[in-house]
Amino acid sequence: MADQDLVLADVRRGMIPAHIYNDEEIFRLERERLFNRAWVFVGHESEIPQAGDYVVRRVLEDSFIVSRGEDGQVRAMFNMCLHRGMQVCRVEMGNASHFRCPYHGWSYRNDGRIVGLPFHQDAYGGEAGFRRKGQRLLPVPALDTYNGLIFVSLDPAVVPLRDYLGDFTFFLDYYTKQSPSGIELRGPQRWRIKANWKIGAENFAGDMYHTPQTHTSVVEIGLFREPKAEKRKDGCTYWAGNGGGTTYKLPPGSLEEKLRYVGYPDVMIEKMKAMWSPEQLDVIGRDGFMISAASVFPNLSFVHNWPRVEDSEDVLPFTSIRTWQPVGPDETEVLSWFAVDAEAPEEFKALSYKAYLMCFGSTGMFEQDDVENWVSLTSTAAGTMARRLLLNGRMGVLEDGTEVSPVLTPDQFAGPGEARVGYGEYNQRHLLNRWADYLERPVSSSAQVEVSGAARDAEAGSVNGSDARVVRS
Amino acid sequence: MSVDALRPSGNGGPYSADSRLGAHAPTTQRVGRSLPFSDERHLQAHHWLVEEAYVLDAQHYEEWLVLLAEDIHYIMPVRVTTATNAGYDSAPKMAHFDENKYSLSRRVARFMTEHAWTEDPPSRLRHHVTNVRTFASEKPDEIVVDSAVLLYRSRGDVREAAVLSAGREDLLRRTPDGTDWRLARRTILVDDSVLRTQNLAIFL
Repeated sequence: MADQDLVLADVRRGMIPAHIYNDEEIFRLERERLFNRAWVFVGHESEIPQAGDYVVRRVLEDSFIVSRGEDGQVRAMFNMCLHRGMQVCRVEMGNASHFRCPYHGWSYRNDGRIVGLPFHQDAYGGEAGFRRKGQRLLPVPALDTYNGLIFVSLDPAVVPLRDYLGDFTFFLDYYTKQSPSGIELRGPQRWRIKANWKIGAENFAGDMYHTPQTHTSVVEIGLFREPKAEKRKDGCTYWAGNGGGTTYKLPPGSLEEKLRYVGYPDVMIEKMKAMWSPEQLDVIGRDGFMISAASVFPNLSFVHNWPRVEDSEDVLPFTSIRTWQPVGPDETEVLSWFAVDAEAPEEFKALSYKAYLMCFGSTGMFEQDDVENWVSLTSTAAGTMARRLLLNGRMGVLEDGTEVSPVLTPDQFAGPGEARVGYGEYNQRHLLNRWADYLERPVSSSAQVEVSGAARDAEAGSVNGSDARVVRS
Repeated sequence: MSVDALRPSGNGGPYSADSRLGAHAPTTQRVGRSLPFSDERHLQAHHWLVEEAYVLDAQHYEEWLVLLAEDIHYIMPVRVTTATNAGYDSAPKMAHFDENKYSLSRRVARFMTEHAWTEDPPSRLRHHVTNVRTFASEKPDEIVVDSAVLLYRSRGDVREAAVLSAGREDLLRRTPDGTDWRLARRTILVDDSVLRTQNLAIFL
């Protein structure tokens, strides 16, 4: 651990050992200490609107059926048959009242309860041999939602989701609560990139500095008029609670003019005015900042841009939600959804979808150039030279710790947290500091769950309930 | 006999008609069995696809745009794994590509800038086109063509190459002078639900 302690100490002072972007040992720690504990986004309630609807999502290797039961409740169940460990659901989405394991035919309701166990009496001797009553697919240890966004945690003692998100919910509302109905999601597009998962999360959290360089081409072809260097640095980055993001500075004008500038029709603007708090409206109307990219620790990101989608001067805003799902130290599966306000006019939904496709996702013209960079970075980080190189991640802070740009005052930025105008790597440092917080804290061994069965010797006599029991090991 | 067995095989499907962005798209469908391989229209269609593959391999995208009809709908659904009887095999209302001529022309224009880093240096591309069969349609100047395409995409000298396998259904429309064909609709049924390539900065 001594080596890792040094790595984390370097990260905390903004000097990043390059190998953290491609290192088996670091990845093992991330699996055990980070993804085993943090709240991880797995989907949105709009993906499973009807009773019986389900999608199958992963947290690293762990597969979960995220379903809506007949009672309307959203659940996430470990996708493993209680008998021999087979996946009980081998598709990605659908609608089902039951899941039947293809191996021996055990079946479960869409709320996880076991309902079918072939030859229960003949094979097990009935309830005396296997207590079927009350057994269910292993529920995810923790599940909660915010604006329909479904998060799970593998840590039963995790802090409540609202506490975890903290003041970032102020900014989440811009992406996910533009009307009382909230958003609906389409997708996700899924693809694998040979890049470390942290790079995308850091980039979306605060990298305004890359925009004028990486995305030169999309400005040249007239797709997006904003990323020119002199415009990008007029925006601010903000960090609040457990997430942070970037903004663009809008031209002067009223709240309505600013929202129209990025392409929202009046019918949507009126709903935003009714939904958002005075402070949320002030960030746009008074302070002139419009949200763009953002990340919630550890691996959930958002983007909101407003490109031209036809041969006219009109622009259309879109929202994308994505996770950087780690596959290995050098590989990430991207799940990228298009999100749109459920009450938006149909014409707006169609053109916003088009705007998304042109800019982000598997075919997006912004995203194409991002990934090329991240893949290159990751493969270069694999060797021994990368262990010697400490990358300077201190943009925005002098050697003596003085910050280059001051935190905006409440008169300049109505949002919570801390915001600063211009380029800086404040948010990337916030993200990596949280990463270090998790990685330096050892995990206690997880509770095990036994499915019926006999008592362990040491606990003989204490086991007589009919439910699966939790054993501290 | 199941409903599936009655549905014709092929790479078409409801995707173009179902797309929110497909309202402008031609709706011409195949008629009858595939044409004999000796049919002049099949020979021309096969020839057209092979010529197009060379254009795409070479990334001569401005040349490729000329091959596309003004009302083209170019759609590549997002495939998902669903149960056999689910009745759908792609993510509802979502695609990788869902393009008209304008958005394709923007993509091409981007490649023509000096700042499209994802293809500078360029990938080495090879579009292997096979399983070509041609159908007549209800319109004398339009034919429907199924094909399979395997794209081999090799970048740099470090990472393994990416492979994309897809079936395509094309609607080819004869040019007014009758000497050539233009692509008026293309449906690309990629065979992965999770793509194993860093992006789709290519065309299929």
